[in-house]
Amino acid sequence: MIDLAAIRPGRGGVSQVSSAGLLLRGLLFMGLLLVGLLIGGHVFAQEKGGMAMDHSMQGGMVMDATGMVMNANSERLPEDCEEISRDYEFTVIAGTKYAEPFADTMFGFNQHEWKVEPCSRIIVTFKNEDQVRHQWMVHGLPKYIYDQGMFHMEAAGGHTQVGTFIVPSDDRTYLAHCDIAQHMEKGMKAQLVVGRGDGDLWSIPGLSAKFERSPTATFLPRWIWLGLLLVGFISAAYLWPRLIKSAR
Amino acid sequence: MGSLARATTVVILLLVCALLLPWESYPRSWKLWYADTFGATSYNPASASVPSTPPATQTEDFEEICPADVKGWRKAQTIAGVKISASPVCMPDNPWAIAAFVQGTNNVKHMALMNARLAPDAVVKGRDLDGDGDPDEIHIRLEVFELNGGSPDLDVPVVQFPIAPGIKPGLWVFAPKSSGMSTENFESIMAQPGIRLPSPAIRVEQGDVVKVTLENTHYMPHTIHFHGVDHPFLDAEGEGNDGVPVTSESPVMPAHTRTYNFQPRQPGTMFYHCHVQVQAHVLMGLQGMFVIEENRPNNWVQTFNIGDGYVRHSSVAVREKYDREYDLHYQDIDKELGERVQASNDPRVITRLIHRDYDITQADADYFTLNGHSFPYTARDALIVTKPDELLKLRVLNGGSEGIALHTHGHKVTISHYDGVEYPEPVRITRDVVWIASAQRLDLELSAKNDGLHSYGEGVWILHDHQEKGVTTGGIGPGGNVGIIVYDKYLEDNGWPMTFGVDWSNYFSEDYYQRKIPVWSSYDDTNRFGDVQGSVWPKLKIVLLLLLSGIALGLIYRWVFAGGKRRDLNASGNKASGDRVSGNKASGDKVPEDKTPGDRRD
Repeated sequence: MIDLAAIRPGRGGVSQVSSAGLLLRGLLFMGLLLVGLLIGGHVFAQEKGGMAMDHSMQGGMVMDATGMVMNANSERLPEDCEEISRDYEFTVIAGTKYAEPFADTMFGFNQHEWKVEPCSRIIVTFKNEDQVRHQWMVHGLPKYIYDQGMFHMEAAGGHTQVGTFIVPSDDRTYLAHCDIAQHMEKGMKAQLVVGRGDGDLWSIPGLSAKFERSPTATFLPRWIWLGLLLVGFISAAYLWPRLIKSAR
Repeated sequence: MGSLARATTVVILLLVCALLLPWESYPRSWKLWYADTFGATSYNPASASVPSTPPATQTEDFEEICPADVKGWRKAQTIAGVKISASPVCMPDNPWAIAAFVQGTNNVKHMALMNARLAPDAVVKGRDLDGDGDPDEIHIRLEVFELNGGSPDLDVPVVQFPIAPGIKPGLWVFAPKSSGMSTENFESIMAQPGIRLPSPAIRVEQGDVVKVTLENTHYMPHTIHFHGVDHPFLDAEGEGNDGVPVTSESPVMPAHTRTYNFQPRQPGTMFYHCHVQVQAHVLMGLQGMFVIEENRPNNWVQTFNIGDGYVRHSSVAVREKYDREYDLHYQDIDKELGERVQASNDPRVITRLIHRDYDITQADADYFTLNGHSFPYTARDALIVTKPDELLKLRVLNGGSEGIALHTHGHKVTISHYDGVEYPEPVRITRDVVWIASAQRLDLELSAKNDGLHSYGEGVWILHDHQEKGVTTGGIGPGGNVGIIVYDKYLEDNGWPMTFGVDWSNYFSEDYYQRKIPVWSSYDDTNRFGDVQGSVWPKLKIVLLLLLSGIALGLIYRWVFAGGKRRDLNASGNKASGDRVSGNKASGDKVPEDKTPGDRRD
């Protein structure tokens, strides 16, 4: 199962480097780096197998030539909510022109982050300024209310859809994206932060870095940059002190 | 060191070297002398002969050969008043989509659209202009999808469509405008069945007023060129209509749309493809078959044939003459082109990689597909099923970069049309190897009449490109564009061909096409053709030999030219290092002053 919402950056502290422990720390760092790469590769390799599941799309769906709204819910409270804490109204605009500030994307939303209080009700006006269809889809909502745990809006080119949904009480960051092939990858990825959230998602334009894709991947294979790292490490740890000494 | 000790050292070193040198490497005359003098050596297997590795366990990593038809898509059914014939193959087309394509997505109910995952305006069928009982205004909307594309967050391709086990090259395809997700569901990364290679065959009727709208959902500019289809260079509004950026129009930019207009006067099997940077875009998959059916009364044609293959709702004219109709779309794919969309996530970088870094004049195709799949996947959905005495129509398109020499086992086919134009009956050619150039279409008549000429009788007969690389997947056979003509007597209940040869499980494993499984392991019971067990010692022996030989040469050099006199050596060494130190002081040499190489040797 690909749980995109689970892919989020960690929060690592910055350690101070003293000259005495340089070698040890360097080795430790490189070891951890290697272990991290291996584990990362393993985890993602395991996610490879796509699961064939039924895709009942009938649940609570309104559809016409202008688009659709699926699993809209303006009444039913999540089990952990006593009442609706607050009402929000958002206008989400989709269009290639919103990708212009982010040079490495092609599609975009006018905003890539929304913050709401737990147990709030959200009315989304989803406006599509492009000529082709786009979607605004929220993942990971409670499945007993929302079929497959998602609230999904699709607007045909030049059209607008309006839909309502209610979020649960826990602090969580939800993925919101367009699921047309490559639209999320090329910029239509955003997050809905409920309460304090639980950390930013990866590769959201203007917000967070890309996860798997290193900027060097296109011109440097991994073994070359690991090699360069090693050369730099040796020159710093071994040759540099000798150079200083010989200069004296 | 005395000269005796020195000589002994050299002799010992040389002896060790001689022992390390593989026996086969000695000159033949030496070996003969040895055998004459000491007698022949006892049986000694060649040094590389080590046991075979045990055959791979045949349990894991093999895909299900023919997944069960849980949705009941194979059986004959009537949906929205459209009669859809039974599909004999294991993985058939979605009948709901076929009903929507025949009636028009504007004329079927919500349920059919939901099950077909189509947009309500994907195929809009309008008025009956000539009053013959079928619609003549057809508006088709096509979107563009990237299959096996890159992702900034995952190190596996997204919206996957494997063309063979584990083979996932980046692809671009046209698809009828859909609704909802591009994947099977939100927990899956597999493409939904309506989005696949090849771009679907499109059918209209002769004389229809056709509009095709390209809704560019991809992140690069594209167009459509209707190759062979009767279309005006400019449409009624004076807009470019030929799809060629350098002569007729600006390409359709990402998230933009354009409508092409035409009213084809001639029937035939034609071709449509993107005409932007054709050397890359056509071969990435932006190409499909375009069929114009002869005009007949009450002729509701199946506008799209997803994945090509069996036409479950043939046109009236085809049904008049033929028992069954098949669309066969051949393609070749260069791995090095397809992997470029996976190499980066930045549209600028991908654009450079595909259009400037990639050089088609240096390219070679790696994968060969029939209807978007390579063998063994072709057996799931691209079988040609027939019965004795039937007459079949095969519409064949070669969208690849090279010609194909299509050979039919058990049959000789007759070419009825070249590039959509009928060939006069008296001079038609019947043969068993048919050459189809790039972009060419041939209509073939396949007769199942057992007369020793047209058919040699019932069976499971393959058909394939007889340029042998075409029957491989990345050089591994069997793979490539191998298809099968199956007589229904030889078809299992689940649509799988009844075969009498080897077990196919190996071919349904990724490892097989990654060269990890010995090709005959499925029937090589004694493992005579298994893999040779890897052993480090022979390689290590050569490394040791080279190392020791180097040391021996170095020692001999020292003793011969430097005479082995330590005093001389020290003197010259000191001199040399002294020079170096003084010469390098300014530039900060790494060698410390107090330790010269000469000193260290002491």
